Formats: sequence, structure tokens, C-alpha cells
Amino acid sequence: MSTSTAVRQPRMKLKKTTGDQLFSLALIAPTLLVTIVFIIVPVIDSVIKSFTEYKIKNIISGAPGVWNNFENYIKLFQGGKLWPAVAHTLLFVVGVVVAQFVLGMALAVILNTGLKGARFIRSVMMMPWVVPTIISALVWMWIFQPQYGLLKYAVGVFTGGAVSDFAILNDPGTALLGVAIAALWKQVPLTTLLLLSGLQNVPDDMLEAATIDGASRSKKFFAIVIPYMKSVISIVVSMAIIENFKQFPLIWTMTGGGPSESTTTLAILSYREAFVSNNLGSGAAVTTLWMLLMILVVALYRKLFQAEDMN
Amino acid sequence: MKEKNLPLSVGKWVLLAVILFFLLFPLYWVLVTSFKTNMEAYRATPTFFPDAPTVESYIKLFTENNDFFVYYKNNFIVSGVTALITTCLAILAGYGLSRFHFKWNGLVVAILLSSQMFPVVSRMISLYDLMNKMNLINTLPGLILALTAAMLPFTVMLMSSFFDGVPTAVEEAAYVDGASRLAVLWKIVVPLVKPGMLAVGIYSFLMTWDDYLHCITLIQNDALRTMSAGVAMRYLGELSYDWSLINTISIIGTVPMLLLFFFFQKYMVKGLVAGAVKG
Repeated sequence: MSTSTAVRQPRMKLKKTTGDQLFSLALIAPTLLVTIVFIIVPVIDSVIKSFTEYKIKNIISGAPGVWNNFENYIKLFQGGKLWPAVAHTLLFVVGVVVAQFVLGMALAVILNTGLKGARFIRSVMMMPWVVPTIISALVWMWIFQPQYGLLKYAVGVFTGGAVSDFAILNDPGTALLGVAIAALWKQVPLTTLLLLSGLQNVPDDMLEAATIDGASRSKKFFAIVIPYMKSVISIVVSMAIIENFKQFPLIWTMTGGGPSESTTTLAILSYREAFVSNNLGSGAAVTTLWMLLMILVVALYRKLFQAEDMN
Repeated sequence: MKEKNLPLSVGKWVLLAVILFFLLFPLYWVLVTSFKTNMEAYRATPTFFPDAPTVESYIKLFTENNDFFVYYKNNFIVSGVTALITTCLAILAGYGLSRFHFKWNGLVVAILLSSQMFPVVSRMISLYDLMNKMNLINTLPGLILALTAAMLPFTVMLMSSFFDGVPTAVEEAAYVDGASRLAVLWKIVVPLVKPGMLAVGIYSFLMTWDDYLHCITLIQNDALRTMSAGVAMRYLGELSYDWSLINTISIIGTVPMLLLFFFFQKYMVKGLVAGAVKG
């Protein structure tokens, strides 16, 4: 009897660890399965497809794509569409992310000053974030509408009637700005919310000590608040970069990539190649380059952020 | 905090007013337009409050354009089921990642985090083919599965941060009493993370209500479309837009989400902050 309990003790222990392992695997397995089948495999498969001649007829007949010696890529680099799309994407991402951060930070700082009604304002200002993207597009398309839009009227009034045909989305020079305004409108609230929660975690005693030492407001903000919020800022900005890189429905609904390709980002170009021209291989080549660019930008951003941390 | 600085505080209020105007006025404008006739909406000098408020567009939407409600119903089904499945899977995986620390955790987290970054178009190019082979193209279950996959990475990380906040002492006591692992999770831990479940469920509902790209690529049958795709296909891109109707659609399409958000905002705000900071 005594030997059997002595043997049982370690066996129980072993059983507990293996049991835990099996249990934890069982818990994770469904999520992992769904993620791998519907995200990882499709993404890898589309990278593979980007090296093949793969069109809508392949889907209908079920025939696999045929290796075509980088032809999708060669055509993209030789055609005139890729570089403008890269430029529009970067312009859109950088512009929206910077404006989003500045506006969000301004609003968060104001709401954090112990303002009366700050809680109410915080919940009301989240409304645009809840509005579905397609509807945000419609909201701004109505304001920007070339004949009856409010913006056209406002510009007319402010210029004393000198500019009476302002149509932001119909002019290649301003269309991207128009879409960016709609993107900002939808994204500023969440940025504000997250930055505000970061601000609330900055310890008051540090700020008070600095005030006693006679530090100015801006000095306190840049020397204490910003460094303290570094991790929140880094997350908020990375999220915004990824979100805006991926932006599709807003642009597609508002301008469809026009006028004269002026709002064709990589998202629009890839969708158009794949599902409008029905050349899925070429579309996949665009998304592959797009992913590379996104990884590059995020990595560069992280590196800059860390480099600044060193100082 | 009591420093008096007049120009600064005036500046603060002006800036606050400008930002709030930018965020809130467009919604007011849509609401007002939805109660105008097209005649009034198209006036050269816009009216900031309808001269003759009318529910004409609402009646028109309910009677003549009731295809919209087919999309609406589909969206409720798709978002509801997706939210339900996502919440269940996120509870399991979140608990697994939070409580058990094995060597594969790092890999799982890396897979989930990178999944959030991939462009949807890239997935769709292959998913179209894959769903076709699995006979899931043009079906709501196919759309639901694809959307669940898109929701899981963020929600699992979010759920696991909620589990991190639950002390393990209660669970250990239950194990000593001889409870099984599943019983401990189900009867003891899950009731403690109800706020997390709500945050995950509502987040998934809101995000899938917003879906456009999954639906336009995976669904071609008009009767199965969800709201964003249906509205874009049916009411936009025609020669002339019926703006009163479109603004009415905007209101009807947004109101349930606003109610949901305001009703559960306590959980949502906490959840968004926790999820973003952890993920």
C-alpha cells in the first residue's frame, strides 16, 4: 500500500501537467483552427497565387494557377498604376494618422482638465465611431454633394460667391482630402478614448511636484505626460497606421478610386485588379506588395519610436 | 489645477467646440435631412431645421424600398451569430492563454496578432476559391465563419486580459474540492468575466455590422446580402441619388448600434481600452 501511494504521487503530478496541456490545447484549438483556415491559409495562398496566372476561369473550372515567371509583378511595375497607388496610400496613411493623433490628443487633453460634463462629452463624442463605415461615407458624400451639398453652400458664402462650384470629391487635387476628412471623423473618437485613458494613468503627484518646481504647462506635457504615455501612444499610432492602410469601404463608396485615379490606393487597386478586372493573380500581387509595404512602415515606425526612447 | 489663465481657457473652449462640431454636426445634418422632402433638401440655401418636417422618406423606406429590411434582417442574423460564436471561442482561447503558460502560447499570440494586420482583399482572393470548394460561397454560414475569423484575434486578446484580472485563488480552492477543469471554467471563472463577455460580444456585433468587403465578395445573392453591401449595391451608383432616402437609411442603419453602444458603454469603454493596450 505504502509503495503504491509513493508511486501515485508523482504520477498524479505528471497527469496534472499533461492534463493541463491537453486542456489548454483544447481551449485554444477552435480559435486556432478558424484563424488558420480563414486567415493564415488564405493569405499564404494568395501570396502563392500572386506568382501565377490565375483568373476567374480558374475558379469556375477549378484549375490551379500556372506559374508565370513573375509576370503579374513585372506588369505592375511596368504599368503606370502601382507607384501612384503607393504614393496615395502613403499620403493618406501619414496625413490621416498625424491629423488623427493631433486632434485626438487635443480633445483628450481638454477632456482631462477636470472639465464639467467631460464624461458626457466623452460618451457623445464616440458616436461617429459607432456609425458603420458605409454610412460614414454617405454622411460625408451628402455634405460634399456637388449641387446641393452643405460644403458647396458654405464655401460659396465664405468666398462671397466667388467659388460657387466647390466639389471636393470631383477634383483630383482634393478628392483624397475629402475621403481623409471622412476617415478622420470616424477614427478620432477611438483615438481620443484610448489617449484619454492613457492620460488618466499619468500620476498626479509627479505633475504636482513639477508645478511646485515651476515647470510650465508645455514643459510638463512634453517632459512628463508624453514619456509616461509612450506605450499607449505607440499602440494607438500603430493601430491607426494599420487601420488606414486597410481602408477600403470608405474610399470605394465615396470615389471608387477616382477622379482620374487620384484616390486609388493599394486597397482599391488590388480589389479592382482582382474582382473588377477578374485577374486574381494580379490582385494578389498588389496585396503582397501592400503587405510588404505595411510591414516596412510599421517596422520603421517602431524603430523610430525605440530610437527616441534611447535618448 | 486652479490656475487662472484666461486666453488659455478661452482657447480650450474654442478648440473643444470646433472638434465637437466636426464630430457631431454631420450626424445632426443627416438626421435633419432625413425629415425633409427632396425638394427641401435640394434647396440652394439649405435649411438648418426642416421647414415642413415630414416622415415621407421613412414611410417610403418601409413601403416601397423594403428590400432594405431584408439586408437589415440578414445583418442582424450574421452579426448576432458571429458575436455569439466569437464570444464562446474567445472565452475558451482567452482562458487558455491567460491561465496556462506553455511553450506554444507565444506562437499562438504571434499568429493572432499578425492576423489582425493582413489586408482583407488578400484573404478574399483565396477565400473566394476556398469557400467555393467548401460549398460555402453565397451562404450566410460561410460569411459568418469568415467574419468570426476576422473578429477572433482582437477579441481573444481582450478576453485573455479580462481573465488575467481574475485571481487564481478561487480556482485552486475548487480544484482541491475535486472540480474538473471544465467545471471550474464554466461555473467559477466565466461568471466573473461577464463584463468581458459583454465587451467582446458587443464589439464583434458592432464590427461585423460594419462589414462590407466580406459580404460583397462572398455573397452574390441579393436576398442574402447584409446592410452595407445591400445599400451600396441597390441605392448607390444609380444615376440620381435619392438623398432624403439615403439619409433615412443612414439613420435607420445607425440607430440600433448607437443604442447598443450607449446601453453597454461602460463595458465597451473598459473593454476597448483593455483590449487595445494588451493587443
